[in-house]
Amino acid sequence: MTEIKHHAYLFDATRCIDCRACMVACSVENNIEMDKTRIWVAGLGITGQYPDLQRGTMVYHCMHCEHPDCMSACPVGAYTKAEDGPVTYNPDLCIGCRYCMNACPFGVPHFDYDKGIIEGAFIDKCTFCPQRIYEGQEPACVQTCPTDALEYGDRDELIKIAHERIAAHPDRYIDHVYGEKENGGTSYLILSHVPFSELGLPDLPETPVNEVSEKVMEMTIPFALGWGAVLTAVTAGVALHDNKKKAAANKKAETKK
Amino acid sequence: MTNTISRRDFLKLGAASAGALALGQMLPPRVAQAAREAGHLNAERDGYIPSMCEMCVWRCGLIAKVKDGRVVKLDGNPEHPHSRGNLCPRGQSGLMNTYDPDRVLTPLVRVGKRGEGLFRQASWDEALDIVASNMLKIKEKYGAEAMVFSSTHNLSQVQFENLLYAFGSPNYGTQRSLCFNAMITAFSLTYGVEEPSRKYDDVEFILMVGRNMMEAISTSETSELSHAIDRGAKLVYLDPRYTKTASKASEWIPIRPGTDSAFLLAMISVITTNELADCEFVKKYVVGCDDLPREMSRYTTEWAEKITGIPAATIERIAREYAAAKHNALAHPGWRTSNFINSFQTERAIATLNAISGNVLTPGGCLSAEVAAEGAGLGMPKQPPYPRVSALRLDGVPWKYPLVPLKLGVFQELRDAILTGEPYQSHGWFISRQNPILSLPDRAKTLEAFGKMDFIATVDIIMNDTAWFSDVVLPEASYLERYDPLLPVNGKAFIRQPVIEPQGEAKSALWIYKQLGERLGLGDFFQYEDEEDYIRQQLKPLGVSLEDVKLKGYAEMPAEESDGEITFNTTSGKIEVYSETLKNAGFSPWPTWEEPLMPKEDEFYLLTGKVAQQTQFGTQNNQLLHKYSDEPRLWMNAQTAAKLGLATDDWVEVTSPVGAVHIILLATEAIRPDCVYMTPGYGHLSKGVKTAYGVGASDSALHVTYTDPISGGQALSQTFVTVRKA
Repeated sequence: MTEIKHHAYLFDATRCIDCRACMVACSVENNIEMDKTRIWVAGLGITGQYPDLQRGTMVYHCMHCEHPDCMSACPVGAYTKAEDGPVTYNPDLCIGCRYCMNACPFGVPHFDYDKGIIEGAFIDKCTFCPQRIYEGQEPACVQTCPTDALEYGDRDELIKIAHERIAAHPDRYIDHVYGEKENGGTSYLILSHVPFSELGLPDLPETPVNEVSEKVMEMTIPFALGWGAVLTAVTAGVALHDNKKKAAANKKAETKK
Repeated sequence: MTNTISRRDFLKLGAASAGALALGQMLPPRVAQAAREAGHLNAERDGYIPSMCEMCVWRCGLIAKVKDGRVVKLDGNPEHPHSRGNLCPRGQSGLMNTYDPDRVLTPLVRVGKRGEGLFRQASWDEALDIVASNMLKIKEKYGAEAMVFSSTHNLSQVQFENLLYAFGSPNYGTQRSLCFNAMITAFSLTYGVEEPSRKYDDVEFILMVGRNMMEAISTSETSELSHAIDRGAKLVYLDPRYTKTASKASEWIPIRPGTDSAFLLAMISVITTNELADCEFVKKYVVGCDDLPREMSRYTTEWAEKITGIPAATIERIAREYAAAKHNALAHPGWRTSNFINSFQTERAIATLNAISGNVLTPGGCLSAEVAAEGAGLGMPKQPPYPRVSALRLDGVPWKYPLVPLKLGVFQELRDAILTGEPYQSHGWFISRQNPILSLPDRAKTLEAFGKMDFIATVDIIMNDTAWFSDVVLPEASYLERYDPLLPVNGKAFIRQPVIEPQGEAKSALWIYKQLGERLGLGDFFQYEDEEDYIRQQLKPLGVSLEDVKLKGYAEMPAEESDGEITFNTTSGKIEVYSETLKNAGFSPWPTWEEPLMPKEDEFYLLTGKVAQQTQFGTQNNQLLHKYSDEPRLWMNAQTAAKLGLATDDWVEVTSPVGAVHIILLATEAIRPDCVYMTPGYGHLSKGVKTAYGVGASDSALHVTYTDPISGGQALSQTFVTVRKA
């Protein structure tokens, strides 16, 4: 394997046989409860009418976005985008607000009530198996995949491989590598024989959503300060006016007496 | 609340199971000690140990990650040709078989009525004495043949069979006739090879007849098929159901059940009458090639269209595409081929298709007759000759089924002979790794046969259905806790070694059979001190130490010399498309068409077939697999269901001539309108398997017993059922 500068996955839906070895491997490797799996396979079911049928399967886990929305939504900085790819979550900082869950366009972060209350780890999601990848092993889901539907490597390298595969079999694939540009790029790249919307993937612009939101958010403090000043001025003005009115009223009352 | 660990919580086992597992951890850490000495584990008892999977019979190599004396993760061993670093979902979940809260951890002796599930714990000495004394009592009173033995493919089977032959009983029931008799008998008669291996390196055209490779996963072969498809090889797949393999195929042919051989015979006819075969190879190596065109000429594509429902033009095109690929074409032999009375003929037609494409043994050919015999080239403990057995076999081999290979047998016939008491009555049943109650067709009959027995003993790791109805249950160590005999694969002898201590008092099969053998007065047949000594004796001819093998996971074996001459282990030394042996036994010497039974108008073919997450009836209690399996439901074509007023999630009653079950319906486009499908192996009767109990329904409760007179295979798809709202 060439040196990996930017860890990434490539998922090829034409190869996936929905065997779920990746799910079992993830559960065992990361010692997570089965109901709270970090990876899930959607057997998207069969489309068409007997006997003209088609089946699609999609393996979902964290997309490890280049511009993670979870990270920009997190008010306490519990998420980190590592320079070499993985998006990680620090349970020690998490306050359980669930903003990340609403922010993620892929519905990835999973809220864990039990763990949240007992251990203070509210959110569960794919960690990219740091215990494996930094020891020279593939992530658990990738290593076990019997059909190489899941592959692991350097992001640039995988993007190249993906385009080569489309070029070699243009009849087999949709001519697009999902995640290369979506939402500013992700480190989970997807090839498919059916439209990506049929795999349940959102149609996202190339400009990351949070580039806009973060710009707005960056204005928060100046805006808050400015708005504060306005409000202060208004309050002061009103108070002044009130005082004048009061003074006038007092004067009136006094004259009545 | 029961004391079982709920599925939701089980992965907290690290902490939660401390109570359940404490017994195992208190034992002297012999395995850990050995593993530390071998360099696998560090002082903290953490590390990686190579071994072999046993979640199915493909036997992938694995590497177990051990932490503080517990196995925490299994990965595929990159050095093992069956796994190449991968494991399927069953292999990944293997540690949950070991840490199953329902494990039987001490010998048990029945105290209630059979099937009540009331047992008391016993010591090994007491339990083994009870088993041995009952077996001896039966032998003395009725003869050794009154004891029936049952097992399934596994690495210690050689010692199970040793026990059976030494004891002197001819009555041995295995899964074989419920699985692959048709394939093995047909290929043995045609090629002299039980199961030819497949090569996908250069394959261009693959024909699969119901071999659902993407769900009935054999890790390396599934991977090879997937890569072949990826490369652009064409896969034509015949199956009444749109399986996951069908979804990956270039062409899915939803053929009418039972008519595969008509389709294949018509293909052979197209190829031979149009002289599209590999003549050079055929003339040299195939018996019957001169008369084949004449014999096959009656199987026209028009004839086959009427029977199969597949257009004649489609059959013609596929035959021509197959022939055009020459020796890069592969007609896959299949695996569980027990489908119809005529499945033997289907397999003969497949064998013939391969022969005429010249893909057998030729350079670059896709079918290889090289099959390594299990244990060949390894040493064995010394033993005296087995006693002569003169009693007839209850399964009718060979006196009723002359062509069924002796080692395959006819399990369903054996069960029926227990019931009828003909030609003689059997009285005891010793079972290891089998579950006749769920494996044999017609469960009610099997339960009745159990009732005929004076004594039943079962060896297993959990309280499977057969153990539940047994008198004594002997707890076996799981595959992560024990040694088994070495297994040679592609020039290497691989080891299964304990990666953790056995839990409770569980013991290896090698130990159990030896202990029992000694108590039966058959100690001379078990000349090994313990499991390690057994393997040392196996390794002796290789000059390799056990310690080396434990560290590496395998021993290199000397390469076998080949003289390059092609001969087949048949009477003629050639491929027998025409078989004199079949003719002499009164059967058609040619692959031929036999009309199968058909359902009546309101009936459905009952199909079964594997899912990727389960192996037969043995893994449903694995909590990980339980979680990641689809709920077992009865598939019915969506339009048929609508006509019957049925919808997905309705409870339905499925009735066959021998039983009825209740199950939830799945209305789907993915099945022929005249078929229903259910996942086999569910519907457990044992309340001792708490995860699996109450889930799904039993296919064995519905299956009617039909035996193919040539191969002895049980026809599992020949059961017809009616379905109504429950």
